[in-house]
Amino acid sequence: MFTPLTTAFGEGMRYKAKGNILWLLHRISGLGIVLFLGFHIFGMSMSAFNPPLHEQMLDLYKTPLFSLGELALAALLVFHAVNGTRIAILELRPHLWEKQEVATRYSLIIVGVLLVPTLVIMAAKSLSHYLTYGFK
Amino acid sequence: MASVTVPTTAPAAPTDRTIRRVRPIPQPRNNFERAMWLFMRFSGLALLFLALSHFWMQHIIIGTHAITVGDTALRWGISGNPVTLEQVIWRVYYAAILILAVGHGINGVRQVAYDYFGHRPGVYKGLMTVVVAVAGLIALGGIAALIVGAASLSATAAR
Repeated sequence: MFTPLTTAFGEGMRYKAKGNILWLLHRISGLGIVLFLGFHIFGMSMSAFNPPLHEQMLDLYKTPLFSLGELALAALLVFHAVNGTRIAILELRPHLWEKQEVATRYSLIIVGVLLVPTLVIMAAKSLSHYLTYGFK
Repeated sequence: MASVTVPTTAPAAPTDRTIRRVRPIPQPRNNFERAMWLFMRFSGLALLFLALSHFWMQHIIIGTHAITVGDTALRWGISGNPVTLEQVIWRVYYAAILILAVGHGINGVRQVAYDYFGHRPGVYKGLMTVVVAVAGLIALGGIAALIVGAASLSATAAR
């Protein structure tokens, strides 16, 4: 049942390492985001149909585990957005295909520029909350 | 010893008959895949602004620990109450994110599922049926919540 999965990941890593790591990360980040998306839409729709459950979900977002999880979500989201833009631009501009490595480097720099301040601010906000009100 | 056979004569020149047999290969016209390819680009471009603005608004400007159920009620309106223009704009913003993100997500899952289970049509179709059904129900619930607005705060307080 899982042979195609293990083959795809195992052989995928052997084949053209650099490009395939981005391909793999794009896939994993997309699947991670889509899992959270389903959970999030369900939780938000409960504000109309089951307000106590909606509040429970908001409380869950404020737990330390989710504070770590939202840092991961930020990384997945920013990477998926920037890498997806790189893919879309390069597919539509064949004359840039020789410059894949340059595009990859630029997109990773943009990911870093967007992500590092995001993670720092989010971590600072969460930490200041926990230091003021304690871990609950 | 292995001997290599070298052709001594040039291949026969193409005759009218062979030329006539060469037809242009009919191009597959899979309009669904073409539409989905375009949709992934345009929804991705829109989500680049919509999803990231939503994420940064909630986590950087407001902060996760400052989000309350009152914020949801303020943005979406409370069911039964008249809706302000501001709330309509919020609802359109979130409805756009919801529809584009769910569509983008389902198609992404479909592509991944096809890569790994495409050679087993039963598994692939079963998996996608479950994914589309669950995602459709969740998205329907989200759209319904955006249309009716948050439940009244008194109902929330009475829990």
